[in-house]
Amino acid sequence: MNELLKCIDLCKSFGRLEVVRGVNLSLPERSFSAIMGRSGSGKTTLLHLISALEAPTSGSLYFAGEQISALNEDRLALWRRQHIGLVFQAFHLVATLSALENVAFPLYPMKLRPEERRELARARLEQVGLGHRLEHRPSRLSGGEQQRVAIARALINRPTLILADEPTGNLDKKNGEEILDLFKKLNEVGGVAVIVVTHDSEVAAVAKHSFTMVDGRLEEGST
Amino acid sequence: MNLHYLGAELFHRPRRSLAAFLSMTLGVALLLSLQAYSNGYRLAARAPLAEIGADIAAQRQGKVPQAFEGILFPHSTAPIHSDEIDAMRRIPGVEDVGESVFFWDFEKSGFLVVLGLDPSSNTGPARLKSAVLQGRFLREGDRDFAVADATFGRSKNLSPGSKISVAGRPFELVGLVDTSRIGQVANANIYIMVDEARALAHAAKNVMAVHDFRPTDANIVFIKANQAKVESVAKAVGSVLGSQALISSSQTFRDVIGQAYGLVDRFSWLVGLAGLLIAVVGLVRSISSALRERRRDIGLMRAVGWSRGDVWTQLTGEAVSLAAAGSLAGLVLSVLVSRILSLLRVSIPVPWELSPTPHFLPGGATPMAVSISLSARIDLLPAALAIGLAVLCGLVVGLWISLRATRIRPAEVLRSE
Repeated sequence: MNELLKCIDLCKSFGRLEVVRGVNLSLPERSFSAIMGRSGSGKTTLLHLISALEAPTSGSLYFAGEQISALNEDRLALWRRQHIGLVFQAFHLVATLSALENVAFPLYPMKLRPEERRELARARLEQVGLGHRLEHRPSRLSGGEQQRVAIARALINRPTLILADEPTGNLDKKNGEEILDLFKKLNEVGGVAVIVVTHDSEVAAVAKHSFTMVDGRLEEGST
Repeated sequence: MNLHYLGAELFHRPRRSLAAFLSMTLGVALLLSLQAYSNGYRLAARAPLAEIGADIAAQRQGKVPQAFEGILFPHSTAPIHSDEIDAMRRIPGVEDVGESVFFWDFEKSGFLVVLGLDPSSNTGPARLKSAVLQGRFLREGDRDFAVADATFGRSKNLSPGSKISVAGRPFELVGLVDTSRIGQVANANIYIMVDEARALAHAAKNVMAVHDFRPTDANIVFIKANQAKVESVAKAVGSVLGSQALISSSQTFRDVIGQAYGLVDRFSWLVGLAGLLIAVVGLVRSISSALRERRRDIGLMRAVGWSRGDVWTQLTGEAVSLAAAGSLAGLVLSVLVSRILSLLRVSIPVPWELSPTPHFLPGGATPMAVSISLSARIDLLPAALAIGLAVLCGLVVGLWISLRATRIRPAEVLRSE
């Protein structure tokens, strides 16, 4: 399979604090990877480097052969919109918008007709089993439902790579398992590459590749 | 800019939106209401002269009559010579000049206030032609005809066809007019043709004893001027008449209205702009607090692919929409306030000199005033300026807030730890 993501000697420091130290990583298309590690090990920062939400202090990031770390902020935003789906532990849904509007949120700056946008969002919500909760605002959805909305939002642009930061961290066991099943299905059936950052070994067990962050360094395999 | 998201943010965060909206509403309403109040008084100050189609009344202070017998000029209506009137006509900004001769007539049969006017003029008391209650008004070429003030006429049982004597000369009454239509300026009991009034005054020994009144002179001149030049024309007319000039214009009426109006007139823009500034501070506070509330949403925008321009447009659009909606509501509120202000009546004191009556006669020393409704209307230009200014403030606030928003680091605000 073709290489999708490549990190070469990726480093990130905040002042004197080195959080990510010389990470080298190569992932193929359609892969499902888990990055484990304790709190403060640097795994979320690595995820932010991969999604280009943070700029590396040194090193390079390549996505489908293109050097991402050389792009400016607006080009990076466009790149994320075209290729990356982001899922957060705290869901980060916009409180004033309905489930449907939250899913359509990444499309707002695009020149699409409102009906077209709604139709795309509806299809994604149906894909994650929330076709019956379109007009509900986040405050009226359960934690599991909110995370499904967030996943539908991550899928709205048909991304090549989904980056999920502790996606089951705020969910109970049952909802957590459902979300993991959803990621598996997206990976196996939809062909979307997935990187999940977690400290939960059960989550990591679902992945095909496992890595562990220890003091900012990435090691292959789970501990 | 996504209008749906904009609407959702404004609608679903009602306290914040309402605070910004109301502060803009009150700021714009204060600015426009003060303008309307000030304009109302400015128009009111013009009313006494505007009712006779003039902007300026020019008179000259003269000597006090020596004997109260026959025709006399009150001391505020000394002669204005024809060369001086011609000089007034030549002043830049003068559009029309109306000449009148005003005198008292003390006869054994009674006392009359008489005004000679040119019925063809539209400037001055000839405007009474539109206030005829009975009969007709004077016409060019009339001789020995007069019209009477309706109240005076009724008190003397006069009607068209009645005879009346002025300085012993008989005049036939052709009509009765409602003098109240020209306010309290140059009110008389009897109105005759200006040339006949001139001839009567020139022949009056008690006039000629103290004045050099020539057959082509007048003693009250009414001037219509270009609105932008009224004050400069008034000054120039004063120069023509010299140190004894008595010039009445909207400015002199404004001066007698009082200090309260003077303060409003002078500081209405300043106070209004201060109100608008407070409103903008309200908008800034409200939108700043929104920015704190929405740090994660803004981080999310960037994370899911919004460019900095997209974020700028969205946040600036919200600020501008609030400012525009608030200022439009402020306009509506100020229209309501101006309607309420229009219910007020303003009393404009009219100086005795403009309509002199002997002090020793009953009612002669009673202060006169014109009472009119305060025409407090919202003019288009200040309204457009206020709304434009409010929207501009919204734009500036929006751009400033957007600039702060684009400095938010998504990775920082979207962290779960």
